Amino acid sequence: SRRDHKSDFTKSKEACLRYIQDAMLRQQWKRAAEFLTYYIESLEKDFSRESVGPSEMIWRMGAEILWHHSDGSVKEFNSFIEQMKTSGLKRYLKICLEHTFYLLCNGLIDEAYQVLSLAESWRFGEQTAIQDKEKKLIQAYRGLLDYYRWRKQKNILLEHGQDGFEDLAVEQEMHNCFRKAAVSLQEIIKIPGVWDLFVKCYVDLLEFYGDHNEAHQVLNEYAYNSKFPANPNAHVYLYQFLKRHGESKKSLISALKILHDIVPSHELMIEFNTMLQKSKKRKKRQLGLEVIFAALDYAGWKENLKAWSCLARQMKQIVISEKHLDWIKQEWSSRKDWWPAFHFSRYLAKRNWQENESLSYEKAVVAGILLGKDCKYFKHVSRQGCKAQVKRFRMLKKFVSKHSSVYLRISG
Amino acid sequence: MEFPDTLFPSYFGTGPPREEGGPGPAAGWGEHGQVLEAGPGRRQAGTVFMPHRGGMGESWKPTDAAAIPLLPPNITYWIPSLEPQDILYRGVLCRKLRTGRSASTLDFTKQLGHFFVDHPEDAFGSMGQLLHQNFFLGNSTLKKQARNSTIRMTGLMEEISRLEARRGCPQKRLVPRLRWFSHLCRDWLFEVPLGLLADCVHEELLLQWANLLFDDSCTGGALAWLPPRDQCTGCLVYPGGQSMNRLYFQDVVLKELPRAQASPAQFELNGRIRQVAAARVDGEDFVGVRSDYHCGVWRVPGRMGAAPTPLQVIRTDVPATCLTVSPHLPGELAVCTQSGAIYLWSTEMGLQRLRHDTQTMFFRDHSSWRWSDFTAHPRVLSCADRTGLQCLDARAPERCHFDLFKVGQEAGCQQGERVVLPMYLGRAHPSQHLVTTQFSVYVLDERLPMVPVLKWAHMMQDPPVFSHLTPGGPGRSHKVLLGASRTQELLLLQYQGGSQSACQLAGPPQKLHSIAGCLQYLPTQLPHHHHLLQQRLVAPAAGLATALQEDGPQESLLVFQLSDAGDIFYQKLTHEAVEPPAPTVMDEATVAPGSSPLFETPTGSPLGLGSAEEEEEEQTFYLSNLEVIINEEEDEEEVGDAGTAAAPEEPKPPQEPSASSQPSPAVPSPAAALRYRRWLKEFCKGCREYSQHTWPPTFSQKRIFTRRELEMPAGPSTLHQQARQQLRQAMQEGGHIQCWDTPPSQPPLLQLLEPSEGLDDLSARLTKAWSEDWCQWWEERSSSNMAQRQQALRERRQRQKRARGRRSLSASFTSSLTYQSELSELSDAPQPSPPPPLSPTVLPREIASSSPPSPALDEALLSSQSLRCRGIPKERRKTLRDYLSVCAEGPPEPVEPLGSQASEACIPSSQSLSQASCTSQPRRKRPRMGF
Repeated sequence: SRRDHKSDFTKSKEACLRYIQDAMLRQQWKRAAEFLTYYIESLEKDFSRESVGPSEMIWRMGAEILWHHSDGSVKEFNSFIEQMKTSGLKRYLKICLEHTFYLLCNGLIDEAYQVLSLAESWRFGEQTAIQDKEKKLIQAYRGLLDYYRWRKQKNILLEHGQDGFEDLAVEQEMHNCFRKAAVSLQEIIKIPGVWDLFVKCYVDLLEFYGDHNEAHQVLNEYAYNSKFPANPNAHVYLYQFLKRHGESKKSLISALKILHDIVPSHELMIEFNTMLQKSKKRKKRQLGLEVIFAALDYAGWKENLKAWSCLARQMKQIVISEKHLDWIKQEWSSRKDWWPAFHFSRYLAKRNWQENESLSYEKAVVAGILLGKDCKYFKHVSRQGCKAQVKRFRMLKKFVSKHSSVYLRISG
Repeated sequence: MEFPDTLFPSYFGTGPPREEGGPGPAAGWGEHGQVLEAGPGRRQAGTVFMPHRGGMGESWKPTDAAAIPLLPPNITYWIPSLEPQDILYRGVLCRKLRTGRSASTLDFTKQLGHFFVDHPEDAFGSMGQLLHQNFFLGNSTLKKQARNSTIRMTGLMEEISRLEARRGCPQKRLVPRLRWFSHLCRDWLFEVPLGLLADCVHEELLLQWANLLFDDSCTGGALAWLPPRDQCTGCLVYPGGQSMNRLYFQDVVLKELPRAQASPAQFELNGRIRQVAAARVDGEDFVGVRSDYHCGVWRVPGRMGAAPTPLQVIRTDVPATCLTVSPHLPGELAVCTQSGAIYLWSTEMGLQRLRHDTQTMFFRDHSSWRWSDFTAHPRVLSCADRTGLQCLDARAPERCHFDLFKVGQEAGCQQGERVVLPMYLGRAHPSQHLVTTQFSVYVLDERLPMVPVLKWAHMMQDPPVFSHLTPGGPGRSHKVLLGASRTQELLLLQYQGGSQSACQLAGPPQKLHSIAGCLQYLPTQLPHHHHLLQQRLVAPAAGLATALQEDGPQESLLVFQLSDAGDIFYQKLTHEAVEPPAPTVMDEATVAPGSSPLFETPTGSPLGLGSAEEEEEEQTFYLSNLEVIINEEEDEEEVGDAGTAAAPEEPKPPQEPSASSQPSPAVPSPAAALRYRRWLKEFCKGCREYSQHTWPPTFSQKRIFTRRELEMPAGPSTLHQQARQQLRQAMQEGGHIQCWDTPPSQPPLLQLLEPSEGLDDLSARLTKAWSEDWCQWWEERSSSNMAQRQQALRERRQRQKRARGRRSLSASFTSSLTYQSELSELSDAPQPSPPPPLSPTVLPREIASSSPPSPALDEALLSSQSLRCRGIPKERRKTLRDYLSVCAEGPPEPVEPLGSQASEACIPSSQSLSQASCTSQPRRKRPRMGF
């Protein structure tokens, strides 16, 4: 009967899909392509009301196969995608976007620009929320490509400018690109999201044309708008912008302070620490110690020589001056139960000594101050150092035994 | 720790997920997702873009055609885990009804019935004891005075068995009597009130069903690999034994083929091992082992050959759901329980409870599953439930925490998506985490919470509950292996980035061999062995581990997979350093379009087996030397399989679609083939050993019938021929078989038997008995033997007197019967002895109480075979046997050791066979007063 026939058809369709999937997952692209040609038949009798119709599946699988297939070429891919665009109207924008990405990854920027401009002018029925988002992305990427054009022309002009030669047409074109890029880029960065790429380009444009206020505002908005995710890059861009424009230490520190609060393990923390250590204010110096201690809590910083030398330097200063030992005590109190095992184990002493002598020196300074001269790490490293007749290790030993009272005060 | 200076663009929304229905079947393909400008230093040369997904990855090629056993099978016989058909309703009607819908019906009544039958004491114990005198189950009618206090239940029982026979029948109706009885006793008969019991059974059934759909107890996997410290000897930690409660530490040498070295260190635990987790801290391995109510931690010291030492064990009141080992600090673990508690467990400091919350974090979900793992900060733990992940600081868990992942718009989740397995990817990048859901995998960065830095729809059939990371060095991709339990799927993903550049998925995902896939490479088996083997190989996966093997420039990845039955298989992938743009020749052996495998029947049990077996049954008696194994269970299973094939909506066993279709890429190498053979040999041995003491239906007919007996009816007897001829004639005429309807004066049966009269006593007696003048025959015989017998009796009495001294107590159980015989002996009866008692209702009972009928007699004369040969209809055989066992009288020979006590007892005046035996053994008799 007809119903049986229909269910048979569905069954064989599903089986075919399974075979395609299996071939693809085993990276047998030719086999997958062969099965896909059978599967295309499913388009003819597409009674499904599922959200993902066969046309989308064919597009996805076909694209993937063509990427990896030995016979796949850009031309073939283009013609396949054009067909897919017409068969899957619901996903037209998505397919265009993916087509653009493919072209961009293959270095075909002009073709990608064309696809984007075409897609931008596409209208079909009422837009869904997803289509709306896709449209905005298309616009943004078109803006991005405009920005790259602008940058190219800018570079030409700059090079030529050095020769004392000016080309009005190029300049005209450049301004044209700027306008187009700026309009579309500023649209997308208003919407909550991660727009690092677009923000950077837009700020670059604004800065070139001297609109610093607008750039500052954009970056502020990107960093501090609570609707946006807590993106460390937003703060980094702001900090870099402020630094570029020679803003005051205070504003730099406040920008980094916020970055420290959200990502204590950020690589800028070393810069932050040096900045704070140079400060004359006690509070800031204390913050500096806090920052470097916090950074060294993280597994990723375990063998960071810079960080350890920052900490060792600051701690030495404190110990020698014998002022603010309470800062160390305060930081140490929440760490003394796990730092010894985490940083100053015997195993690490051996390994650090073998792999990186300087690192083991800096760590030994810290260990000697924090844990006294009986600490396993300090003992091992200083003994090895003395054996190897390295001067600084002998000095270190002297320094630690001289200030052994510090250990008692910190741990007490 | 650098953070990528530009991230891939993405929208960020808040709120519950909006997309419905889950991703489509091909959702993971064909998308670049987003692009990003690659390499800031290349501006002058024109802009180059890199995709979020779909970039180039490393090429890892499987070296073998299928997974290869690493260790001999976990020998002890494995009881297959619960299958849907065990608890689902399987009526014919039900299947018909169900074809349209996907709803499955739990067979609740069957389970409750099983409980009543299997545990009658628990179900009806006290009432049963009180009432057992008042229920009568026999066939006879009750006497009048008994009727006052006793109910006859026989009819009711018959009704119930009839009901059982009509199981699944749509017209099934309760007989009023049954309904009446159930109404009457519903309130008091059951030990546990029926409603309560039913609730419990139903709840348990639902739980089992939920577990069958998705079992989260094995999350994380029970297999761990401790990487080698020297060049090539690592250690595999896995559970084994019949109930998977033994923990093994097996050294494995990674050479061309990995092989086990020495015998493993083993520990016996008192619970099924659900999870084995391991981490290396300061050169020492810490292995955490989780069973339902216990968690333990072992330390494997760094030196070669040092034995693992158990450190600590904790017991939990509710089942633990998670155990992870800290990669930062030695002897630190995170434990979660179903009560919603999360503990930081340090072998030095003990347990610290970080959180206790029975509610889920972001929205309400019924699952009590919790998970916890470590993060880049040794004091910060991630904790997860089905709705998302949070990070909390162990130093101030109440105050310091932040959300890392949430099922919602933030991560672009689908409706109904749930966290299945979170994992800390610290070895790849200190701040990365992996989260798998039933639809997608996410890579998260602690520094950018809530927004996944990578998302990909994995398209696996079953949610990935195992995962293993193999970090790649600088410039290399990290390999993440995802594994599902029920379907044994294995998927290899590669990703890169996280510090200098943004995270990208590298290369297409790759499917690896499942354990079940090796079935086709194993030698052909007998059908029932094949079935056992298949059942064993498709057992759900229980764990997964990978080992990176570096052999000079050649890198290879060993993937170990543990099955629920405790078997460990491995497969090897080799890295091809130069990435060829085209796939290799190996997988391109294409199928001709005509031989498209799409419409092939699924592989599995041979379906034609049923009819073949029937035939075999017919032949059984004629094949004298063949050992026939009748295995009813097997039959049933076969039918079950055919049923599954017919009804596709039933959950299928993991079956790779390619199993039959794919042109096999290669045959297993000789070394692999050897391993298959060895494994199979061990497996079959295990099966045989088991079958010897547990499968009753296996018997050899050689022991029952002699060869001659089997040969006897080889050709149809003249009787058969005659009967057949008559039948044929009657059919031709369309009439009745006259001679059967109204037997002539001499039925053909007896006519035929008559000539045998002179042959021996038994035949004569049988013939007489048949022609109903046996009593007369008896008279004749007894009178002719009277003198002889009196003489014998006298002799016996004398012997008894002599033997009295060496009586044994153990023999006294027959005494009551000997008493009877002695009475008659005493009477010294001159009168003709009475005819043997003829009431069969009395006699068999006496036999039963005295001793079983003589086996030799039974075998020689009463076997149904020999009776059948003599043409005695089945319904009469039993009667005949009863008679014979009662009246068995010895042949004229004086010494015959076959005589039974029963015959001696019941034929008091007959010349006893046991006289001879009396001499050989002490007289079994109870001493009586005055005798």
